[in-house]
Amino acid sequence: MTEHHIASAFDRDLEAIQARIMKMGGLVEAAIKDAARSLETRDEELAEKVRRADAAIDELEDLINAETARVIALRAPTASDLRIVLAVMKIAANLERIGDYAKNIAKRTVVLAQVPPVGDSAAALRRMAREVARMLQDALDAYVQRDVELAADVIERDRDVDQMYNALFRELLTFMMEDARNITPAMHLHFIAKNIERMGDHVTNIAEQLIYQVTGQRPTEERPKADRTSTGGG
Amino acid sequence: MNDMRFVERQVTTTTEIKFAARNVNVFYGDAQAIHDVSVDIEDKTVTAFIGPSGCGKSTFLRCLNRMNDTIPICRVEGDIRLDGEDIYDRRVDPVQLRARVGMVFQKPNPFPKSIYDNVAYGPRIHGLAASKAELDEIVERALRRGALWDEVKDRLDAPGTGLSGGQQQRLCIARAVATEPEVLLMDEPCSALDPIATAQVEELIDELRERYSVVIVTHSMQQAARVSQKTAFFHLGHLVEFGETGQIFTNPEDPRTESYITGRIG
Repeated sequence: MTEHHIASAFDRDLEAIQARIMKMGGLVEAAIKDAARSLETRDEELAEKVRRADAAIDELEDLINAETARVIALRAPTASDLRIVLAVMKIAANLERIGDYAKNIAKRTVVLAQVPPVGDSAAALRRMAREVARMLQDALDAYVQRDVELAADVIERDRDVDQMYNALFRELLTFMMEDARNITPAMHLHFIAKNIERMGDHVTNIAEQLIYQVTGQRPTEERPKADRTSTGGG
Repeated sequence: MNDMRFVERQVTTTTEIKFAARNVNVFYGDAQAIHDVSVDIEDKTVTAFIGPSGCGKSTFLRCLNRMNDTIPICRVEGDIRLDGEDIYDRRVDPVQLRARVGMVFQKPNPFPKSIYDNVAYGPRIHGLAASKAELDEIVERALRRGALWDEVKDRLDAPGTGLSGGQQQRLCIARAVATEPEVLLMDEPCSALDPIATAQVEELIDELRERYSVVIVTHSMQQAARVSQKTAFFHLGHLVEFGETGQIFTNPEDPRTESYITGRIG
């Protein structure tokens, strides 16, 4: 819908809420990248910054929830307007979760910085995080452009993230079997890998919300699931 | 989906068709008000007609009980069937038709008579009661269905025009259901009512659905969304979209419907 509402304040409200989503998305994207960099470079200060920055992300989510509740109460949105509001609420919730995972990575980074590094998993994790950050960037671009194809592409790419996680899972398992002293750091690294894998799932949810918002239909295809570690295939 | 409302409002596709309209065209003199409208109105369902002023929704509603017959320059073409029977057939008596297809108007219009006589009027002229006792019963039943009985049972002799606006409208609904119609047409029944009276009438419409097919014309899209199971959107005399109300209000198919219900210039 490119046409404007007769009540122009309604347009302004909807635009304001969507602008907040973009701002929140930007903060979350930075959190992913910073968390991954702090892990690889063992930068405790940067990790600390990521932890503190999460508060701003949470605050934005609260703000978005309050504003969407207000629009629902005052404007009774329907059709595409309703889908914008519903999608915004869900996207905000997904972004908030991604922010939490970034914060958790930062916490573990501080612990890991105290012990000698295990293999070069940190570099692999950073590659994985970079891919998720790119997916998020594309999901947000798709959101701005209302680009359903790009959103579908993002959903497809989650498979790669799952595969990276599978590889890391096996690698970390090997480290732990080699030397029991590796178990503590390897467990932390594994949780970080799992966090990034979950971030990918939340980015996928965001892309799905955009598809729903534009088309009114949920994507029908079964979403790609390449994380096989839970079925014993790792 | 444990919410009862969702279960209640589910629209079954097995519902019987009450009105079947095919290729209906309506003219006022040379001006065409309705263009080739075909629609099925289901029994025991509330169907809402929405659309901007002058879109033809009221005109089409009035075709369903031949109220347009009273306008000399109005001409109706096409086929409208009530239970399979052509209502524009020469042999159909419009007065009898209107007993089967009742109507409630925008402004409450009680007769300048007592509450009792307002409701008893229809049953009397159609000879539905054999005795005073039977008529009393019909009046009480209609007033109960109109959700008005408890408020007026002690003053049935008081003039209907002395009631509040909301009560007057429910009296008109009671009057319309007194003849045991099969379909109830409502043209903007709440536009002259305050929100409380509106809520009472809407609740009443939901109850009436158990028994009748209800067709309501409304300018309030929220009202259409609240009370109806099917919604028809009219624009410039065309039936643009007709579908399940939930679908119309979350994901309409036609961009014109979308523009109208979201309050955009279309």
